Amino acid sequence: MNTARAELRKLLTLPSLRRTALLTCAANLLLAYAYAAAESRGEPLGDDAALAPLGYTQAGFLVLGVLAAASEYQEGDQIRTTLLAMPRRLPLQAVKAAVLAVVTLPVAAVTVATSTPAGGAGTWMPAATAYLTLTTLLGAAVASVVRRSVPAVVLLLGLYFIAGPLLRARTATSAAYLPDTAALDPSRGAAATITWTLAALTLAAVTLHRRDA
Amino acid sequence: MVRLIRAELRKLLGLPTAWIGLVLGTLTAPVIVLLNAPYTRRAIAAGTLTDPSDLGMRDLGVGLIGPIILGVIVVSSEYTSTGPDTPGARQLTATLVAVPDRLRLLVAKTTALVLVVAVQATVTTAATLTLTQVLHGIHAPAPAPARVAAAILYWTLTALLAYAITLITRNGIVPLTLLIINSSVVSVSYLLTKVTDLASYLPDIAGAQMFIGTAGFPVEIAPVTAGMVMTAWVVALLGLGAVLFQRRDV
Amino acid sequence: MAITSTLITTVTTGTALDRAVGRGWAFTSLTLALRPGSDGPWTDSVVRIRERSDVRGPKQLLTQFMITIENVSKIKSRTQILYDVSFEARPGRVTGFLGPNGAGKTSALRILLGLDRPQSGTALIRGRPYRKLDRPLTTVGALLDGSGAHRARTARAHLRWVAASNGLPNSRADEVLEVVGLTGDARKRAGRFSLGMSRRLGLATALLGDPAVLVLDEPVNGLDPAGIRWMREFLKNSAAQGRTVLVSSHLMGELAEIADDVIVINKGRVVIHGRLADVTGGHRTLEDAFFALTAAEAGSPW
Repeated sequence: MNTARAELRKLLTLPSLRRTALLTCAANLLLAYAYAAAESRGEPLGDDAALAPLGYTQAGFLVLGVLAAASEYQEGDQIRTTLLAMPRRLPLQAVKAAVLAVVTLPVAAVTVATSTPAGGAGTWMPAATAYLTLTTLLGAAVASVVRRSVPAVVLLLGLYFIAGPLLRARTATSAAYLPDTAALDPSRGAAATITWTLAALTLAAVTLHRRDA
Repeated sequence: MVRLIRAELRKLLGLPTAWIGLVLGTLTAPVIVLLNAPYTRRAIAAGTLTDPSDLGMRDLGVGLIGPIILGVIVVSSEYTSTGPDTPGARQLTATLVAVPDRLRLLVAKTTALVLVVAVQATVTTAATLTLTQVLHGIHAPAPAPARVAAAILYWTLTALLAYAITLITRNGIVPLTLLIINSSVVSVSYLLTKVTDLASYLPDIAGAQMFIGTAGFPVEIAPVTAGMVMTAWVVALLGLGAVLFQRRDV
Repeated sequence: MAITSTLITTVTTGTALDRAVGRGWAFTSLTLALRPGSDGPWTDSVVRIRERSDVRGPKQLLTQFMITIENVSKIKSRTQILYDVSFEARPGRVTGFLGPNGAGKTSALRILLGLDRPQSGTALIRGRPYRKLDRPLTTVGALLDGSGAHRARTARAHLRWVAASNGLPNSRADEVLEVVGLTGDARKRAGRFSLGMSRRLGLATALLGDPAVLVLDEPVNGLDPAGIRWMREFLKNSAAQGRTVLVSSHLMGELAEIADDVIVINKGRVVIHGRLADVTGGHRTLEDAFFALTAAEAGSPW
């Protein structure tokens, strides 16, 4: 499909996305090493050393989504060109999300794979990959509503890293409603992540459809 | 110079994102203290709270997102594109035409930032600690003025840290991401201290020891030394940022 | 802008197919001769048009490429910026869209191009709204402000993704780069372009699909004298080719030379529209007519 090819080319030719993906993978490796080193020192950092780095690395995936979406609105009026070339907005939004997911999956898979110490339980890997990909979609959806990368990043990171942990500490039940629970405890929170992502994507589609360019 | 500082202040306070940083930074900590009041009371009663003297001080960490945002956007706003016609032009072009002496510009910017953040720090520290006293005063002793000053210093140095990193990277997203994650409830730096003792000398860890007594840091640093370590980091990064800023093209 | 000193002749043949109607046009667009010397790269655009034999009649087909705007009103941030705007742009003619700054020219064009939504009224190209066009870049080429490209992307990468979006081959990207004289800068990031280069990139994007309708918002803004002359010839030849050309501008002298029809808009209302001669009326020049029609408030020239 033409729209898909165009969106794919857009994502693959944006240097900041490549850099973000690389940095995220590198950071994940560092964290995985840190966790492993801590364990070998006898000071384990948490229960699930394989999973825990993802709690931090997911920030990189949020930023990836934000940059991909905000690139339409910042640094030049690209959204105009996009809408002139592909004026049907709802299909466009759907294709954008699908293409972003396709591009993110390998990055997520690599990140997850390198995060596991040898011999770790591999059953959660597909779920973790899916989680990271959904996180990127969520980031992209929020950024396409807010249209600027800095506020979107502040909003998302504030939610995931400040508001989230605070809420979780206060009430155990709130954890089921937060999008990032799945990163910390794979058995729960999948529904929350999916719901949040779908809701954000819907909001993004509606705003794109209704707003002026 | 006063004129320049005033101009930079006006620029900063004219940014909507700056106000987000101001509001979040000022209100978050007191609000958290308020919301957590019943739990804190229970924890004190049950004796699970390790050191009540740190009460209030720890909660300040939540508001650090404010100075981080402010430090970042002071610089990142200069690097945003001014419009579709000439995507290469940024606000920095206009700024440097008005103020070609880059060092003076940086001094003005830094001063403006420090003023805003110090005021914010004072307000939020006062609010948080007063609130803590009002709610739990019986159990928690009032902190010494030196510790309060240290907290304000930590706050200001954090903003300068964000500012310096943004100056070096010319990009707001990288420092924003790093520092917000780090200011979260379980920071990366803290984790790293479990891996290597050297991590205790990272700016935010060392700096925290200026005013937080018990946090289980592997390496105990005296408050004054801690302050110097953090300041050294900030000065080094600012120096690097200033040199790069002087030498680079816009 | 760089003056290339090689002789290049580019002949591009594009075929715009109207699937719904089932007929075809074959355009031989712009043959450009780039000559060394003071003329610069913008010279001699020679265009030819070939019709397919099964075509019923030129006039009937041509009317399909009309632009019709009817009773368009637009409110933005609680201010009404367009009041009941109606006009047409016909094929084979250059339609000039004149007005002071803030009159509503860009707003009207953005509504025509499906970027903004009007509160009421319709804006149709070939009888359909822009959003309903299939592969719109093969029908309409639009040049708005700037280049429409992301700062970090190279010119070629930008044109390639746009080409892909409408099913156009990659080679079109290189072809249009040559037409506007940006081949040497194809690998440069759009953020490093000067004002003139950005406009040319925008124009290249508009020409990717070899469209039958051209909508240009202040096209000579940012171009140097050679570029302005090139644009003038390009617009005249495009219209002679049978394309519908809608140009907004506030350079009266320019428009007076190339426009066949003129629409004057002021403060969101169409003041007059008609043929150039009719609009100029008894005034000496179009500029005199314009100022008489849009008499500014006492004192302020803005």
